[in-house]
Amino acid sequence: MSFSARDTQLYRDDEKSGHRKLGPEQREDLVKLKADVVCQNYLPAPSSRQRSNSRVKKRDSSRLGIRKFLKAQFYALLYLIIHAIFSLYIRIRIAYHAVSNRLVAILKHHYNSPEYIARDVAALKKLPRHLSIILTLENGGKGDALEKLVNEVSEVAAWCAAAGIPTLSVYEKTGVLKRYMTQTHRSVCNRLKTWFGKHQVPPLALFARGASTIRPHSRQGLDLILVSEDDGREAMVDLTRVLTEMVQKDKITAQDITMDVIDNELSEAVMREPDLLISFEPYVDLQGYPPWAIRLTEIHCAPDNQGVGYQLFLQALRKYAQATFKLGK
Amino acid sequence: MSDLYLSHVRNWFWKSPPAEWLMRGAREMLIGTLKQGPIPKHVAFEMDGNRRFARNHKIETIEGHHLGFEALARVLEICYKCGVKVVTVYAFSIENFNRPRGEVKGLMAMAKVKLEQLVQHGELLDRYGACIRVLGERDLIPDDVLPFVDRAVEMTKHNKDAVLNICFPYTSRAEMTSAIKATIDEFTSPSRPSKAPFSQTRITQKIRSNHSKRTEPLDAIREASPDAGAKSEADDSMSSTTALDPESPIFQSTTIKPRRFPNAENITADTINSHTYTAECPPLDIFIRTSNVTRLSDFMLWQCHENTHIFFLKCFWPEFDLWHFVPVLLEWQWRQKKLLEKESPRKQ
Repeated sequence: MSFSARDTQLYRDDEKSGHRKLGPEQREDLVKLKADVVCQNYLPAPSSRQRSNSRVKKRDSSRLGIRKFLKAQFYALLYLIIHAIFSLYIRIRIAYHAVSNRLVAILKHHYNSPEYIARDVAALKKLPRHLSIILTLENGGKGDALEKLVNEVSEVAAWCAAAGIPTLSVYEKTGVLKRYMTQTHRSVCNRLKTWFGKHQVPPLALFARGASTIRPHSRQGLDLILVSEDDGREAMVDLTRVLTEMVQKDKITAQDITMDVIDNELSEAVMREPDLLISFEPYVDLQGYPPWAIRLTEIHCAPDNQGVGYQLFLQALRKYAQATFKLGK
Repeated sequence: MSDLYLSHVRNWFWKSPPAEWLMRGAREMLIGTLKQGPIPKHVAFEMDGNRRFARNHKIETIEGHHLGFEALARVLEICYKCGVKVVTVYAFSIENFNRPRGEVKGLMAMAKVKLEQLVQHGELLDRYGACIRVLGERDLIPDDVLPFVDRAVEMTKHNKDAVLNICFPYTSRAEMTSAIKATIDEFTSPSRPSKAPFSQTRITQKIRSNHSKRTEPLDAIREASPDAGAKSEADDSMSSTTALDPESPIFQSTTIKPRRFPNAENITADTINSHTYTAECPPLDIFIRTSNVTRLSDFMLWQCHENTHIFFLKCFWPEFDLWHFVPVLLEWQWRQKKLLEKESPRKQ
């Protein structure tokens, strides 16, 4: 705020003395018009309702009208200039990020080898138990968009398996992958096979709300959860409907419904709270991500990032390893 | 001596009247300029970093919170001048009760004093047209603060120009839980028959009950949820078998007063939304969290799930000023412009 130093000092002295120095009137004086200093009125002009009955308004409206018009023109011009400069700045920033990301990606490529990723991750103090990513289906699913999406899912799944992250959830707004559960499972398995070899491939379990689970025979592998917009607010609506019907039939009372109950239901039916969320978008946009689940999730997003990249994944893991969780303390 | 009081020369320069006058002018100009573009209707601030700021500058924790309050006043003025309609701030989390007792006490005392002062200046608040709402678990507000909260809310209720939502003691999950509960309450209070249209089933029911007092209650139960999902239908059969037991209390209660409920299938996201604390507010446009923590930390989860631009800033909250807010606003305006450009060719 543009409080002058003197006024700020007055305010802070009052604060220190336990608010005994200034009475209500003096405090009002502090913010009201002061004649001796250059027009230091912190308050807004009285609203038009209050002013309408005073005759003063009529007299200076014509003069102020021109001044107001000129001021508006000046501001509009300044707005254009500022936005032109900002636009230039952001374009340079995007270009810079694109080039630097590309360079790093080339220099530090993982060469599709799990050992390489395991070495990258070995130095980290802790790893997320549950990683979540947001992917987008491009062009509304036209052309090879679906193929690209499946490819991205398989790629990240392979990184997770190599890094030793047991659970990966993939958020994609439209939920198109849920319709192709077996195909998705097969292509991710194939990718894991090419990475790990036929004998060491980790078993993959595929989950989605509203679709039958695909489970391997042996446990202790990678759990992949497909999440879509329907699992966000809609899932909570569904839960509310079920609870309402139960209350209507006197199976439970409304008092029985607590945060634990809702949390338990949503984490069983949809997914547990992820530890780390990576958005591969140029800026953080949740796109309808399940609201219940992201309470304490660390969100990572590199500004101006384009597309799914291993370096961003690694960056996010590094950041997660450094983050401290205090939960309100 | 803390380093806040160091660098006297620089301070002396910035505090000299001409420099202050210039800065004031620059601020006014910047705000006036930004007002030319689109302005967010609803902005949320997660005021984080007061304690770390205090630690870094070697001052008391509570001092940090006081400086944080000054930053809040600055931000509110900026938002008000820009024309932001609703500002939501995270003042105190339910989890914050776990902090050291002295700090909680200090924060509560601060809230009390500030609200008390606020109440004394009702006239000034009317001039801003500002309305204050306190969102959160009312039961958890200490007894000595509660009357001031109520008075501040009551006094400013009629103002419509700008809204300040103070989340105090709040967590988003508690909010969502209470919204779900309120929705359930709405749909489990029997619908009033006066509003319902004429129904053939009701007429036949009435005639049947006139014929004999021993009416089958099961029809009424089935009526309540005609298009329930497969899962609840399975549950249904279970309940009806238990209900057939004449000794069961459920059976008896339904024979006495067959209740009719609104159909639970009519619940939508909007129904739940209308029971959240921010029901009357426009959708959240910008979410700002300071102090370089990239988590939502149980704040506005329901509200910011879509079309909200989330900004994580590096500065601590007490440092937050126009110079931090302007880049955020500019970038938001730039993205808004890009989104418009993306949408317009589709329409043509």
